[in-house]
Amino acid sequence: MFTRRDLLKSASSGVGYLAFAALAHEQALGETKAAAGPLSPKQPHFKPRAKRVIFLSMRGAPSHVDTFDYKPQLAKDDGKPGRFGRGGKLLGSPWEFKQRGKSGLWISELLPEIASHADELCLLKGMHTDLPNHPQAQTIMHTGNAQFVRPSIGAWTLYGLGTDNADLPGFVALGAPPGSANHFGSSFLPAIYQGARFGSNARPGGNNRFSRREQKPQIPNIANPKLDRDLQRVQLDFVQNLNKAKLAREEHAPGVEGVIESLELGFRMQDTLPELMDTAGESSETLELYGIGSGGNDAFGKQCLLARRFAEAGVRFVELSHGNWDHHRNMATDLPARCDEIDRPIAGLLTDLKRRDMLKDTLVVWAGEFGRTPHGQGGDGRDHNNKGYTTWMAGGGVKGGFQYGASDEYGYQAVDGRMHIHDWHATILHLLGLNHEELTYRHAGRDFRLTDVHGNVAKEILS
Amino acid sequence: MPARVVPINPSAHRLINKQLKARLPITPPPNAMKLPCVITLSAMATLLSLPAADDPQPSAEGLKFFESKIRPVLAQNCYKCHSADEKIKGGLNLDSRAGIRHGGDSGPAITPGDLGSSLLWTAINWGDKDYEMPPKKKLPASIIADFRTWIEMGAPDPRVAEKIVVKTEIDIDEGKKFWSFQKPLKAQPPVVSNQGWPASAVDHFVLAKLEANDLKPAADAQPGTLLRRLYFDLAGIPPSTGDIERYAEAWKSDPAGAYRSEVDHLLSSKHFGERWGRHWLDVARYAESTGKEVNMSFPHAWRYRDYVIDSFNKDKPYDEFIREQIAGDLLPIKSDADWQENLIATGFLAIGPKGLNERSPRQFALDLADEQIDTTTQAILGLTVSCARCHDHKFDPIPTADYYSLAGIFLSTKTYFGTVNAIQNRRGTKLLELPVPDSNPISSVSTREISILKQRISDSEKRFNDLQVVAAQDRLAGRSSNAGQQLQRLRSTTSQMNARLKGFDENGVAKSFAMGVQDQSVPVEPTVLVRGELERPAQKVARGFPQVLCNEPVKLPANSSGRLELAGWLASRDNPLTARVMVNRVWGHLFANSLVTSQNNFGTSGQAPSHPELLDYLAVNFMEGGWSLKSLVRELVLTRSYRMSADFNRTAFEKDPDNSLQWRHSPKKIDAEALRDAMLFASGNLDITRPLGSEIAVGGDIRVGGPRSPRGATSRDRATNYRSVYLPAARDNLPAALALFDPADPNLVTGKREQTNVPDQALYLMNNPFVLQQAEAMAKRLLSEADTPREQFSKAFLLCYGRPANKEEVEASLAFLQRFQITAGADSRNRNEIRSLAFATFCQSLLISAEFRYLN
Repeated sequence: MFTRRDLLKSASSGVGYLAFAALAHEQALGETKAAAGPLSPKQPHFKPRAKRVIFLSMRGAPSHVDTFDYKPQLAKDDGKPGRFGRGGKLLGSPWEFKQRGKSGLWISELLPEIASHADELCLLKGMHTDLPNHPQAQTIMHTGNAQFVRPSIGAWTLYGLGTDNADLPGFVALGAPPGSANHFGSSFLPAIYQGARFGSNARPGGNNRFSRREQKPQIPNIANPKLDRDLQRVQLDFVQNLNKAKLAREEHAPGVEGVIESLELGFRMQDTLPELMDTAGESSETLELYGIGSGGNDAFGKQCLLARRFAEAGVRFVELSHGNWDHHRNMATDLPARCDEIDRPIAGLLTDLKRRDMLKDTLVVWAGEFGRTPHGQGGDGRDHNNKGYTTWMAGGGVKGGFQYGASDEYGYQAVDGRMHIHDWHATILHLLGLNHEELTYRHAGRDFRLTDVHGNVAKEILS
Repeated sequence: MPARVVPINPSAHRLINKQLKARLPITPPPNAMKLPCVITLSAMATLLSLPAADDPQPSAEGLKFFESKIRPVLAQNCYKCHSADEKIKGGLNLDSRAGIRHGGDSGPAITPGDLGSSLLWTAINWGDKDYEMPPKKKLPASIIADFRTWIEMGAPDPRVAEKIVVKTEIDIDEGKKFWSFQKPLKAQPPVVSNQGWPASAVDHFVLAKLEANDLKPAADAQPGTLLRRLYFDLAGIPPSTGDIERYAEAWKSDPAGAYRSEVDHLLSSKHFGERWGRHWLDVARYAESTGKEVNMSFPHAWRYRDYVIDSFNKDKPYDEFIREQIAGDLLPIKSDADWQENLIATGFLAIGPKGLNERSPRQFALDLADEQIDTTTQAILGLTVSCARCHDHKFDPIPTADYYSLAGIFLSTKTYFGTVNAIQNRRGTKLLELPVPDSNPISSVSTREISILKQRISDSEKRFNDLQVVAAQDRLAGRSSNAGQQLQRLRSTTSQMNARLKGFDENGVAKSFAMGVQDQSVPVEPTVLVRGELERPAQKVARGFPQVLCNEPVKLPANSSGRLELAGWLASRDNPLTARVMVNRVWGHLFANSLVTSQNNFGTSGQAPSHPELLDYLAVNFMEGGWSLKSLVRELVLTRSYRMSADFNRTAFEKDPDNSLQWRHSPKKIDAEALRDAMLFASGNLDITRPLGSEIAVGGDIRVGGPRSPRGATSRDRATNYRSVYLPAARDNLPAALALFDPADPNLVTGKREQTNVPDQALYLMNNPFVLQQAEAMAKRLLSEADTPREQFSKAFLLCYGRPANKEEVEASLAFLQRFQITAGADSRNRNEIRSLAFATFCQSLLISAEFRYLN
């Protein structure tokens, strides 16, 4: 049993520590770091270039050859038989590419606003991944492993660095579709490192709370109708008293620990979250910057604005999901529609981060789970392609107006500066000041890493 | 089949099918209102099948006619939009013999010798407003006459493209060597050194593994802990205080007997089906709406839900359960009631997610079959066969051709899932009218209402016809008008009214419908599609099953879909997977860890079993024992392995942190439904009667979340106190009480649910009115059932944790009450009010605590 003072004391810094201490030897980061509570800020392995990540996850795999990977040869050979696999006829991009900014990066007309930030972008054109199936590729992109349930990159980041705001989750996922819990999960890492999910992106323009017209998103269950904060604290102390007694009885109970920590965090979020999610204080100029209120589907604009607000408030890892990029068919109409939904919001995010002087230490990452084939599918679509595709990063210590790696002349296969997901993970951790080989967690008798036994940091892209 | 049963509407047997088909012209006459079923029927009947008497070697005369009169016209007027080198609009490719016969999204462009069935003929005559080709200028009459001649002479056409054959490099015989593709063999329970421990054969297998790894099983669980575990596992609700006392009393004299009698009590309770039926509903991706872009409700899906629950309660043999769900409509029957049940069972194939705004009926039919294959193979076989739709399976020995063999069975099946033809829903179907009217949650209407409705429909049809004339005049005169939009709206409201009318008999009594399937009158000969593309047909294949699971090639009858044979084969003792997959699911629900952790994937990319001999032992036993699920559950919960405590053991943990060797009972988090039910149980509010139908049924045909969605139909938070399995289950719109606690996503086949611990769950538990109401009710109940605070606390702990409070807990509870009242500033005026708030808050504290939410 614990005294009330113990409880109150531990309540402010997360309370999983007791269980942690029991397993201290399992923590590769060592006892000194655990001593401050699992979410408190931790020293990185070396000086970081980025302090936080905003990951823009494009679910369904956008076509790289129609967006960021300019392939003149593909356009020339449009209609010729594809040479790759059992592919059909080559399909040149129906959209025009132009050189942008001082750097002259080639970007398609589908994304004019993002293109205006060309000099901030670091295009990674030699990406490749293991499997051309959405569920597995999504899982690999998030956890490095499709076969087993493993901690996600957000959870690893939070484990490695803690968070600057203990009153908010350190890892936030906005608009995550249902059935994707593993992409934000903590697996064998303590439960407090899993992503907190807000809003659902189940249907574009559907009943998710970010697509409503009001500026003030409604957060369900954010206030107790009967108890004020003091009374609620009295209640929570009693609940945690019971929970910790159970934890003490059971010695090792990650689930109980998860309950304890999520209750504390939920309690604190009653104050922090409404403030954070209320965008009423944002100027109309800022809202416009993100394309909010422009009519139509401005859901993603709201997500991007919230991402900035979360980042500003000290959240370590924010992930946004944007869906419906799987253009096997109807690409001519659907791809421009998707691009239109993200173009202004992302450009607005970059502008806003820059003018707040946050872009220098915020790593913005844009990625689908793989790319698409240079050959067409049914005349107006493209198939899955894991052998070569493009992602990009901006801010947080990467070279702007830069491209790294290349696919072949048609965009089918990564041939130069090849970057596997493990390399991509290693590079992201490196930018955060974490050595991917040292960021380990002992589980089942061995040390686990996000990158398993792989991963090379792409030093070439560091600014 | 009883003669007096004549289903009116949806062709519940083949005779009616034929009548129905005969009544419906394949091409609707001009000006007719096109009901979706017409399009679907014609498209599916002709899908991927060619007329038999179509001679691929035309006469010289025919060829000459084609080359001089037809080809130039096609090339000049059609290829720009309909050829492989340009575009393939509407899926229609006119530059090859196969393409023109195969047709586009709406069906074959020509049927040789049959003008009426040749859409191309209708189109060039501008006979249908939606198909006026070429669009800008009608062809001269002489050319149209040439096309008549050409089609009537059999449409000779030499443009034969190179025959595409999709080949495979998969070696089926090699593939058959994989463990899960071989029939399970019953091994002898292994010898163990600690012979006193095992209580059953299963325990021998578990203990042998532990001993081989130098591990020991945990001690037996405390009786109270075990009882709580058993109640949640078997019934999904906690034991009542009466149950606990009865059991504790019986335990004193005969522990084994006391436990056994609780097991039997729970197995015979109706809650067993509600609990285990829900597990199957996870697997069957049960939901009451289509999901995806349009998300139309399924007001009749609940009958399938009740069928599943009842089947578990009746202990229907699992093989029979499978046969009914795959081919209930084709099974022999003894009575109307059997037939009724079997039709409802086929809802399994009809309740999946559907993209109703798909323009192409063929694409929709293929996607529907794919969804049925995906669910059937994952749910029953633990295989992901639909991965082979576009290419050979990447991991398992399933060639693309095998996929299309299986697809042929489902393409030869008509699926009746309903949904009205509202705007954006292009693909609605009819429903199956049940032979025996059952209790219906939809209230009857007066005959007057029926006649008003009829009048409205007839008015609206008349208006539709008038408007069509106006629209045509406007177009001819080049006037812009909104007649087209009005037509669309009118078509939609009329079809909604028609759907409503069809829901009642002449006396205004609501009819009973089910979702389900029927065979097509003529089976489809499936065509392999290159990379799954409709526009790229390759070779024909015979309908059949995945070869790797068959000892010899299967021969299906020529005149039926083969679904009956599929059902028999799936539920057969020769099938190496079916029993293994199910016993593994059952094990997973009881022990938290499945023997094969990838429950829906027994293929080569799945996980190997932790206890292969045990899995096979259970599978063979299951089949030999008549596929009885209750016997299987009984066998497992009586093992000593199940009865172990959840005590932690560091040495064992370091060796086997996932507890896959079963050195203790893994602590389990109670799932979304059990959490809600347990709160209602503790408050005394749980209504254990089954509600009639579902709120979705009462709401009728609506678009979920749409502007006209009536309150209540999909309401997320309506106060209902019945068990959670009966809550409305619209896709992408699950009730809030479940949605935050990792329910099964009905867009997927779910074996093991996800488990998260996130702050929005905490916020729900702390602040949601539902939780607060249960806490208040529980407080009232305790205050009336016990006199002193100490007694009240003790009872509260017993209700919530299945054990009495210990001394420290009583003290802590008292201290809490005191501190709460002081903090709230209680004085003489508000003392009672604050005291009851304090006590309700105390109750809520137990409901949201970890011990309430976890089982040891």
